[in-house]
Amino acid sequence: MDAILQTENLCVEYRARGLRREIKPALKGLNLSIHAGEVFGFLGPNGAGKTTTINVLLGFIPPTRGTAYLFGIDVRQPIARQRIGYLPEMTYYYKFLTAEELLRFYARVFGLPRLEADKRIDELLKLVELESARKRLIKTYSKGMQQRVGIAQALINDPDLLILDEPTSGLDPLGRMKVREIIQRLKEEGKTVFFSSHELGEVETVCDRVAIINRGELKAVGGVAEVIGPNHTNLEKAFLDIIGYQSQSAS
Amino acid sequence: MNTIWALTGVVIKELYRRKDFYVLFVLTALITIAAGSVRFFQDPNIVRYVKDLCMLLIWISALLITIATAARQIPAERESRTIFPLLAKPVTRGQVILGKFFGCWLASGLVLVVFYTFFAIVTGSREQYWPVADYFQALMLQWIMLGIVTAMTLLGSIIFAAPSSTVTILFIVVAGILFLGGHLNTVALHNAEPLRSLIYTIYFIIPHLELFDVRERVVNDWGLVSWLDCGLAALYAVAYTGLFLLLTWLAFRRKSLT
Amino acid sequence: MKKPSPYWLLALLLTLCVTLATVFVARAAWWNEVPTAADWNKGQSAADNVFKLLLGEGRRLFGNEMFVMADAYFHSGYYPSIFDRQETEHDVAMPAHGQVEDKNSTSDDFLGPPPDWIAALHRHFVPNMHTHLDDGGPSGHMRETEVQEILPWLKLATDMNPQYIEAYRVGGYWLRRLHKPVAARDFLFEGLQNNPGNSELLFDLGWLYNKDFHDANRARNVWLAALQSWQAQDITTRSSVDGANGKRLYDGITVNLAEVEEHAGNWSQALKYLEMAKQVSPYSNDIQKQIDEARAKMTGQSGAPKP
Repeated sequence: MDAILQTENLCVEYRARGLRREIKPALKGLNLSIHAGEVFGFLGPNGAGKTTTINVLLGFIPPTRGTAYLFGIDVRQPIARQRIGYLPEMTYYYKFLTAEELLRFYARVFGLPRLEADKRIDELLKLVELESARKRLIKTYSKGMQQRVGIAQALINDPDLLILDEPTSGLDPLGRMKVREIIQRLKEEGKTVFFSSHELGEVETVCDRVAIINRGELKAVGGVAEVIGPNHTNLEKAFLDIIGYQSQSAS
Repeated sequence: MNTIWALTGVVIKELYRRKDFYVLFVLTALITIAAGSVRFFQDPNIVRYVKDLCMLLIWISALLITIATAARQIPAERESRTIFPLLAKPVTRGQVILGKFFGCWLASGLVLVVFYTFFAIVTGSREQYWPVADYFQALMLQWIMLGIVTAMTLLGSIIFAAPSSTVTILFIVVAGILFLGGHLNTVALHNAEPLRSLIYTIYFIIPHLELFDVRERVVNDWGLVSWLDCGLAALYAVAYTGLFLLLTWLAFRRKSLT
Repeated sequence: MKKPSPYWLLALLLTLCVTLATVFVARAAWWNEVPTAADWNKGQSAADNVFKLLLGEGRRLFGNEMFVMADAYFHSGYYPSIFDRQETEHDVAMPAHGQVEDKNSTSDDFLGPPPDWIAALHRHFVPNMHTHLDDGGPSGHMRETEVQEILPWLKLATDMNPQYIEAYRVGGYWLRRLHKPVAARDFLFEGLQNNPGNSELLFDLGWLYNKDFHDANRARNVWLAALQSWQAQDITTRSSVDGANGKRLYDGITVNLAEVEEHAGNWSQALKYLEMAKQVSPYSNDIQKQIDEARAKMTGQSGAPKP
């Protein structure tokens, strides 16, 4: 089965500022392969390289070495992003637009015909429960509402691959539940979801496969049960063990 | 092109939802009406000073709005991080630059239409005379000039750290070109080498924005500039605009998004 | 109701404070001393207006620029920039008092041939022909009333620099040409209020009374005052006011006084003024002829025996 998201020996190095200009590796030879229909969890502590990986996949930063492909197209080509949806961690949308205007803007960017865009916007606003607020400016929205706008814009082009960066960050339990429901629904529709998260409980519930990255290196990848293994009771314990965390009580 | 026009629409929406334009328009209108209400020697037919003042205010306001709008486009996208969901779509950085340019430029055109309509109404009510063709030509020339200014400002917004510094620097540069640009050749003649060559080089490199300033002709009823000359000036503007946009793209394509 | 942002209130308060401070500082000295009539009679000619308050003596520079604006308007925008003014020595001045700007003068050549293609292209976008507003302007149509467009700048020039005699004179001249003698008179009065006893303004006022109000008596009185004022000036002041030999104004005053006396039949007075004019006029031969004619008329009237 062809992978729809693939990285081969992906390396990203940042050159530090200052006289010495030290090289700081953010990713060291990352090899990932994600297939259609999977819900894939991308885990790691802060500074592990999760956001860097997502930034490379989305074309925000070029890789130093190695390659990355979406649907078999190099990520540096804009067309590679035609069939993906992206939900950033923080709500980064034009505050002077209404939700409807924002979705219409993104629909136009994807080249959706007017009628189809209208239909899609109505469906999405209903899905994320923002119908009553569709004509209000985004700057008047609460954080939860802005997150829901984010989900709607990520789905505007009916993407085959959804890349979510900490989708439940800052949400209340109800919001988190709704996000999980959406992910589950997408999975049932045969979509692929790639998301990074710190909520290991959620990851354990929804994901088919997970990868754990630490200090730019891939430490583990496989099915949830496979990664947990016989030695750990849950994903959290496995995660801590894999990244080499030793609790003070244990030592 | 869909992407570029979509971005253009967002910029225009941003302009009319911000207060800058309304504040400057109201200020221009108030000053013009106040100046026009003064009766020098009880003569109600004196109008040229009102035209002169109003056109000056239109130029200043249009430049302020254009530079301020263009200066914050890319930095605001980076600062508010709206650039990320935008570039996560099948959009290139070049399309972002073009979309921002056309948005700012068209927005400045709309601003000019509103200002010139007000100008025509105020002066026509005094003069009982509406040289619509003259006003239209003045508007078009000013709009073409604002294309160069928009492109310059977009380039400045990539190079300089903050929108405020871009606005300040570009305003000084544009004002300098308008006031002094056409006279640098005279200044050069009064200097010895190598300063003369340096000034002459600057004279030929800078975009001569004063070419598009036909206020004296409009105020003093000189009639239309030949459309051939306008066409040449437009080509000149297109060349400089293209150059600045190209430089902007070259600077932006490797720039970090954070 | 939405509360206004505190920063707006702060800005408003600051503006109010600065405005009040500006106004009160000007008045503070006055509050300490009650002005008397003697103060007004001291010959203080400076107008205490808002420009003086705001700009101080710097307002005079602005006043000069306002006059230049009036000149630029008279030439429909075809006017040398400050860079071009340095280039040419010719003073691009407005005609006044019947003077006619020499059409062959170099003033219309201040641009010169374009030094490069940019300058050549720029010429098409700016006024590029020497015209006068009273001579049809750029359109070529005779619309003398368009000269009124220069008046606001002349008024501003005198408001900013009340000692700018030339501005009063030029304004008075054009108001007369625009058939507004009352406005011209009031403008000259304003000039005299700010410059008491100025011989040039008195001369122009006399001309106005004579030609527009047809009041020869009043004109005579004003011209006499002008003559006395001129004679009271020292030679340096006369020269600075009236050219290198300081005599042109004297010539004008005496010739016009002679004319008024002639019309009134006061031949001896007329002769006296003609003799005074002959001493300074460049047209002394013509003046001599007038003297001879006046003598002949005076002799004829006194009933000298016919040969």
